[in-house]
Amino acid sequence: MKVTLISFGKISEFIHNQELEIGPINNTDLLKTHLEQVFPNLAGMKYKLALNKVMVQSPQKLSEEDVIAIMPPFSGG
Amino acid sequence: MDTERYSRQLILPGFGLEAQNRLLEAKVLVVGAGGLGCPALQYLAAAGIGNIGIIDDDLVSLSNLHRQILYATTDVGRLKVDAAKEKLAGINPGVSVSNYPVKIDRNNAIEIIKQYDFIFDGSDNFATRYLVNDACALLKKPLVFAAVSGYEGQIAIFNLADDEHRTTNYRDIFPVEPLAGEILNCAETGVLGVLPGIIGTMAAAEIIKLITGIGTPLINKLSQYNLLTCEHYNMSITPGNDYNLPKTEHEFLVSNINNPEAILPSYIEIDAEMLKSLQEQPSTLVVDVRERHEFPKITDANIFQAPMSNFVSLLESDLPQKNIVFLCQHGIRSVAAAEAFHEKYGAEKNIFSLKGGIVKWRNHF
Repeated sequence: MKVTLISFGKISEFIHNQELEIGPINNTDLLKTHLEQVFPNLAGMKYKLALNKVMVQSPQKLSEEDVIAIMPPFSGG
Repeated sequence: MDTERYSRQLILPGFGLEAQNRLLEAKVLVVGAGGLGCPALQYLAAAGIGNIGIIDDDLVSLSNLHRQILYATTDVGRLKVDAAKEKLAGINPGVSVSNYPVKIDRNNAIEIIKQYDFIFDGSDNFATRYLVNDACALLKKPLVFAAVSGYEGQIAIFNLADDEHRTTNYRDIFPVEPLAGEILNCAETGVLGVLPGIIGTMAAAEIIKLITGIGTPLINKLSQYNLLTCEHYNMSITPGNDYNLPKTEHEFLVSNINNPEAILPSYIEIDAEMLKSLQEQPSTLVVDVRERHEFPKITDANIFQAPMSNFVSLLESDLPQKNIVFLCQHGIRSVAAAEAFHEKYGAEKNIFSLKGGIVKWRNHF
């Protein structure tokens, strides 16, 4: 299965917007583990996922062509 | 009402006298009179928000001026709230401005926030952001949140029910406050002055929309703006379930939920004098954790260069010295480094962080 990744802030420095082949991964929890393996910098960070523009609060089922946004907190003012 | 002053917005469809009267009666608190607060304050005052509170304990500095457009070069060294109040009175003398030249904290937050109908958080650090979030959630005060990093901005509205009667707060996006130094701030990552100008102005627009009832405000939505691509990406925020908020004012006051002040520091923050005397001792290592591209470069060959981006390898190496001093540009990343090393060595070594960093003590290097 292929999903599209969109990333923001510091995360966009090591995860560029891209289509990612995720094989048999079919939910957002497994996807998180996978992303942290593929992009180790993500593992130590605080970040939030949004699936098709809705924030992920519990494991969500993934489908072909889903769009996953990955964002870190910003504090600057 | 000064109808001539407001004539251009009074004639807008869906606006009129009723909306203007709501603005004149509204009470808005702006937390932080910095890059986000300045443009928001200008437009809020100009639009005729009747009562504006400004809380900020900081002084105007020269490096603020490229983005904090309420201030002039002659304001450098003045309290931001004083300079802002003066400028806003010039823009619109019909607006009443209350100044709070203090740092918002656990003890004063409730009392101040209670007096306002809408809160704008344009502060510049996570401790304040989580404090304001928790206080506003407790008091059910509409909170417009805005923040910037590099070339990007975030804006959202919390504590107001959407069509499905759901409310959210910042902890629904990021439940746990990042540690000091975990996420860099503007002083460390840099910011193009116009970015907080755009985001702060958007925040003013959202506040005006909330007060007057026009349009569709960003309730339970997070908008990500990228200046370089000029794109907005809006996401829906749904309530999360992995955090606790204080349920009473008493709980808020004694709350230690991610309250960094409540955790005793495990390292010592020092000034340049103390650094000097430590350097004179035989078993001291001074580590500069800034990245290689940062200025000013340190010429002292006894100061070890170990950029934060490669911090793990430093943390894994065994340091023979008894005293380890970390320093960086502003004394924020050095705190994170000091915390990590204290965790590693405990009482075995003395760990220090140079408070205020190289920028504060530039004459010493």
